[in-house]
Amino acid sequence: MKKHKGELEIDEDIKLESANWKVQRVAWVLMVLVVIAALLGFTGNGGIGNLQRLKAGSSADGLEIEYERFLRRGAPAEIKVNLVPSGGDSLMDLRLNKDFYEKFHVERILPEPSEQFTHEQGITYRFASANQPFLVIFYVKPDGMGSLPLQFSTSEKAVRITPFIYP
Amino acid sequence: METVIRGLILYVFLMIIFRISGKRTLYEATVFDFVLLLIIAETAEQALGGEDKSITNSFLLIVTLLLTDISLSLLKQKFKYFGKVLDGVPVILLDDGKLLHDRLKKVRVDEADIMESARDLQGLQRLDQIKYAILEKDGRITIIPKEQ
Repeated sequence: MKKHKGELEIDEDIKLESANWKVQRVAWVLMVLVVIAALLGFTGNGGIGNLQRLKAGSSADGLEIEYERFLRRGAPAEIKVNLVPSGGDSLMDLRLNKDFYEKFHVERILPEPSEQFTHEQGITYRFASANQPFLVIFYVKPDGMGSLPLQFSTSEKAVRITPFIYP
Repeated sequence: METVIRGLILYVFLMIIFRISGKRTLYEATVFDFVLLLIIAETAEQALGGEDKSITNSFLLIVTLLLTDISLSLLKQKFKYFGKVLDGVPVILLDDGKLLHDRLKKVRVDEADIMESARDLQGLQRLDQIKYAILEKDGRITIIPKEQ
């Protein structure tokens, strides 16, 4: 054991401790950055200014999706899909790729689809419409992690989105 | 498998976050420090267990955490420097009756904190009765009084 001034036995290492203080200061700055990122919504679950809310597709093409860029595993989220029926068909199909029903736990769909079935490419929801544009809200809980490419398609149009799911 | 990973991640995260917040952060100097500790414990609990409330899950978690702790203490014993980096080292704050102000500032301790320890541990009344004050690894301040 080292001796301080010949009397105090102490394992002091002020060089290591100074380095530690520097690391601490840097880490505090990083912590501030994390909090700011969270406030701005970069860690999911909403944020100031709604920067993380994105839209894909357009209602002019009959399919528009509103979603959050960042989601969290196991945390409730919603995906809004604007659909515009074409022609005189009162039934409208919305197809989603396999990842959607494999990696998302779908809690509720509003309105309830009149029919739903899975197939090789994924899952199809069939909605009864009043020949007017309508909004479908998916209440989901992500089950996977990382970037998750999702494809929404109607008979005419396909839109891809890639939300990121935090662990 | 997920339980083990959760346990390991949380262990490492908590170790890093407490290391970088400084020794005095969770030293229960005020009532609020104690409350903060409780809140952190409650928050960490959610991340640890998830929605799985089974006994298996709890057992696995406890075993994982303890095993990590044992492995680290073995490593610290074998590699002394690793231990120093992980746990920090004691810092002399008052050297032979002289306050080291730059160090006090860096570790966020003031004269009042030193006097509190001096009263508590040694029953001292004045700063000039102290020979050495040392901030220990765990955030306590220990006092060595001047010989009368």
